[in-house]
Amino acid sequence: MSLARIWKVLRKDFAMGPRSPFFLYALVLPVVLTVLFQFAFGSLFEPKPRLGIVDAGSSEITAAMESAEGIELTLFDSAEELRRQVEANDLDAGLVLPAGFDEAVRDGSRPPLEFYIGGESYASNRIILTVTALDTIREVEGGSAPVTVEVVSFGEEGLPLTLRLVPVIVFYALVLAGVAVPGSSLVEEKEKGTLMAILVSPVKVSEVLAAKWLLGLVLTFLMAVMTLLLNGAIGPRPFDSVVVVFVASLLTAMLGLLVGVISKDSTMMFGLIKGAGVILFAPVLWYLFPNWPQWIAKLFPLYWIIEPIWQVSVMGEPLSAVWLELGIALAIVAAMLPLIVLLARRMQARMAAR
Amino acid sequence: MTTPAIKVEGLHFSYGDIEAVKDVSFEVMPGEILGFLGPNGAGKSTTIKVLTGQMPPKSGRAEILGRETGRDDPEIQAQIGVCFEEKNLYLNMSALENLDFFASLYGIRNPDSLGILRRVGLADRAKDRVHSFSKGMRQRMMISRAFINEPKVLFLDEPTDGLDPTTAAQIRTTIKEEADRGAAILLTTHDMNEADQLSDRVAFINEGRIVALDTAENLKLKYGERSVKVRLRDGDGVREERIALDEPGSSARIAELAASPDLMTIHTEEATLEAIFIKLTGRGLE
Repeated sequence: MSLARIWKVLRKDFAMGPRSPFFLYALVLPVVLTVLFQFAFGSLFEPKPRLGIVDAGSSEITAAMESAEGIELTLFDSAEELRRQVEANDLDAGLVLPAGFDEAVRDGSRPPLEFYIGGESYASNRIILTVTALDTIREVEGGSAPVTVEVVSFGEEGLPLTLRLVPVIVFYALVLAGVAVPGSSLVEEKEKGTLMAILVSPVKVSEVLAAKWLLGLVLTFLMAVMTLLLNGAIGPRPFDSVVVVFVASLLTAMLGLLVGVISKDSTMMFGLIKGAGVILFAPVLWYLFPNWPQWIAKLFPLYWIIEPIWQVSVMGEPLSAVWLELGIALAIVAAMLPLIVLLARRMQARMAAR
Repeated sequence: MTTPAIKVEGLHFSYGDIEAVKDVSFEVMPGEILGFLGPNGAGKSTTIKVLTGQMPPKSGRAEILGRETGRDDPEIQAQIGVCFEEKNLYLNMSALENLDFFASLYGIRNPDSLGILRRVGLADRAKDRVHSFSKGMRQRMMISRAFINEPKVLFLDEPTDGLDPTTAAQIRTTIKEEADRGAAILLTTHDMNEADQLSDRVAFINEGRIVALDTAENLKLKYGERSVKVRLRDGDGVREERIALDEPGSSARIAELAASPDLMTIHTEEATLEAIFIKLTGRGLE
């Protein structure tokens, strides 16, 4: 096998890449999905409550609200402007603190407080702002809450939905760049007869397959790393994340090669990807629905690469926590190799007999 | 003694139960063009596929430049050029990119791709993508790609099939030039005129077997019928008479007609390769 010849075929494939729709999809889709999910779920499920305050007397309440991390605070000079913005749903709530409000609260004179609530605001935001405002006023008064609240968390605390969707985006990056790109590249060469033209030159079929595999490997690796970076999910140990992504790229590029070798034409390849797509995608569902029995996810081949990415890149586990999964992924790669060699011989004979 | 560039001995190939090539033997010397003539399905393309290493022979022996084919041998592949019947070019690449890429596969560092395109009349379209090319231009591209490594052995499968006469003539000229350079050329075609014009020797292949192999001249002498066609005035009309030269008394009859005051024209008639093929196989080439 000649590395120089592999490189020449690979270089041609990368140069031709931007002229191939699959190559472009592989580059664009993970970015589009990231932006889409961040836009849809990032702001839909995690909007900060928006509060406006008109403070005529430098109240401690304003200072407390300013220091609260979970509230987006805007200060106004006039109550009219505050009211207008609440009515326009630019704010969830508005608070008008007259001069001497803190002193009046401490005196126990129960001063009136104007609190505007936007009718179209989220109920959750209204509740948060109301409870926070009342709690802060009680602190100004010097009183304490009449109950002791014991907080019990369920599920994985602090894991936003956008992170839960990372396996979905990574899956698309892996399947498009790793499976569809090398698979379609090989099938197109077969369909158009250019593969036969290459094979009557000094290039061997094993060298063409190696080039297609490297095409998938490099593209998958870059796209998966970029997807993790875009989603802020590269983990506390970037090197560990790179290792698991590399193993994932090895496996998906090998799957792409298998699809390309098996498929006689584009129609068959699309059929295969569609049919196998369900099996490939299945393990991703367990990250969206973590209460499902985990053992079922392990039946699907891509589980063994999605799980290490999840554990290392998203959950911050070290490589040592996923060595078994990585080992199984590499074993799947090794098992596919002789199968591809066998199928490649049949493919060559079939092409020549065409 | 010069070694044959192509040497085939007792070659057999079958697709399952169908025997496509049966006991085929021939040689092509450097600088020689061997026309491989036969109808579709006769075994021409299968023979080329075996010789170019696309398929191993079932039995028999095939050698290119003294090395046995069918062993995935880059040394052989580096010395051959193939023009497929199918126009298998990279349509999304320019003419120049196509040639440069294939040149790189042969390890050619500074290929004269533009020079080769100039030879086939495509230099002015060098930077255009091949998908914008006409059928004739694509065929010229196929020929130029087969020349990119200055091969010692060229396999040309129907190189002028379906082309207009001008383009076909242009391609025949370049094929001749390659033979003059010293390349051994195996040319498959079912165009008898092309074979007659280009080939040093001609092999007739039918149902997987070579039924005749010689120079076109010898085949005509051996299997053709030499005759003379004489046209004579006949009252207000014209009468034709064909005289077979190999028949007894033909010379006397020709002399008699030549002396006739009614003689208008006298022409020798030569057997065509097509007529010989039909005579030998009982079928035409189409």
